Amino acid sequence: MNDVVASSSRLMTVLRYAALIVIAVVLLLPVYWLIMSSFRPAEQIFANSGRFGIETLIPFELTLQNYRDILAGGFPRALFNSLFVSFMTVALGILVNSMAGFAFAVFDFPFKRTLFVAVLLSFMMPFEAIVIPLYVLMRKLGWIDTYAALIAPDIASGIVIFLFRQFFAQIPKEIYEAARIDGANWWQIYRRMTMPLSWPTAATASLMMFIHQWDAFFWPLVAASSPDLTVIQVAIARNMTLEQSNWGALFASASTAVLVALVPFLILQRYYIQTVALGSDR
Amino acid sequence: MSNRWWVPYLFLAPALAGLLLFRFTPIGIALIGSVFGETIRGDTVFQGFKNYLDLMGDPTFWASLKTTILFNLIVNPLQVFCALVLAMLVRRPGRFIDIFRVSFLLPMTVSIAITSVLWNILLDPTLGPVNGFLRWIGLPAQPFFRSPDQALPTLIAVVSWKGVGYWMVFLLAGLLAIPKELDEAADLDGVSAWQRFRFITLPMMRRPLAFVLVADTAANFLLFAPVYVITHGGPNESTHLLMFESYQSAFAFLNHGRSLAISTVILTIILITALFELRLFNTKKGEA
Repeated sequence: MNDVVASSSRLMTVLRYAALIVIAVVLLLPVYWLIMSSFRPAEQIFANSGRFGIETLIPFELTLQNYRDILAGGFPRALFNSLFVSFMTVALGILVNSMAGFAFAVFDFPFKRTLFVAVLLSFMMPFEAIVIPLYVLMRKLGWIDTYAALIAPDIASGIVIFLFRQFFAQIPKEIYEAARIDGANWWQIYRRMTMPLSWPTAATASLMMFIHQWDAFFWPLVAASSPDLTVIQVAIARNMTLEQSNWGALFASASTAVLVALVPFLILQRYYIQTVALGSDR
Repeated sequence: MSNRWWVPYLFLAPALAGLLLFRFTPIGIALIGSVFGETIRGDTVFQGFKNYLDLMGDPTFWASLKTTILFNLIVNPLQVFCALVLAMLVRRPGRFIDIFRVSFLLPMTVSIAITSVLWNILLDPTLGPVNGFLRWIGLPAQPFFRSPDQALPTLIAVVSWKGVGYWMVFLLAGLLAIPKELDEAADLDGVSAWQRFRFITLPMMRRPLAFVLVADTAANFLLFAPVYVITHGGPNESTHLLMFESYQSAFAFLNHGRSLAISTVILTIILITALFELRLFNTKKGEA
């Protein structure tokens, strides 16, 4: 009887891992193929087009020519724009949203509930739905085709405020009272006590804001169309539609965009999974 | 706890100003802008509900609304189901399980624009490796995005490739929060796997499932990049989703009133759907 149970649970484990491997391959293979193709000589990329074989998965001839090609064009500027916009959003976003999360977690004040509901509503309301009216607003402000148009709308984030509040609410309030008695003001408490404790939440929030801004396509397409302000995603999509001849450059620029996002992702994903678990436990 | 009443408001001010200006003001602009129009001379004039009435009588709008609803009716349940399956598969600790969790999340780092570009090439009828693979195992090549019948299902598959791992994390978090004692008690009582899923896991997962379904619906109603990059709404308007229609009204036909009216319609639909979905999960709570 016990043998039957043991062998059936062993069978379940084998089936489970078989499923995991198949799913992982389906999810990862396209990214692998993209990055491999970026190192193939231009004439090799579709050399066995429409056929499938070992060459599809393993490039036998490698080159850096595609990367040299994209260095010459507008791509470095687009890469800089995306990096600059993403880093500014993360830096300002961490400051502004953690301050708000701190206020919601630590203080009692009139309209607290109403304001918190407004924050929750703002993250239920997806950004893309307001792209066109936001464009109308930016045109009135005269911000179209500026870095401010790309950065400002993504700084305040309901979900990041919510994550910080969840974390700060766990800190016992007695330690604030003790610090107050020692003569610390609220800014010092926020800056020197609370923020240093919250770095796993800050890491998750940074990753969320970075990936979100790095991914941005619809808003930059609309709000910053001049060549000087083109971000990496828009540049890649334009290459796709305009000059389908240079596949190598397309693969190299797309691979660069993926690899840049991969670095913070691999460093911070552990905290990401942990913090989401904490946040979902309202 | 604070000694001066304005201290909390100072901490809140920058974030609330940002939300007010860049989230709530645009909604106001959409509502107000949708009842205005432009004359031939370029003056802005009030025209009441004309933009909405025009939409009502416009077959293009109805067709794209229908496509958007059809797309959402399939893609949302499908993604939540797949995300739940993935979360269940990586729920128990095990060898290499962290590697699988990270692998499933990894498409998150491939932006929606690159996802569109990449899959357009992968699924190309002549050059694409996917059709190469199909021929290799002896199946006929498929047109995918080039066929009016296959374009929408292909779009659903491609956005799910990117999205499912992301939603999995929220469901995994919910699964990990289920107290171990419940499962242990079930083991002692000799409950079957299905019964355990039906009577322990699902009821405990109501809240994360509701959150993921609502957030997923909101994200998918607004799908834009793949339509813009790959299909431009075609072939035969089979992928003409509302967000693309709104973009075209604003930037191809320069009709801001119409575009803002569509934005308002989208916002209203998302709000109603979210309320409906939340209710759906709440009534189930009553019966359990």
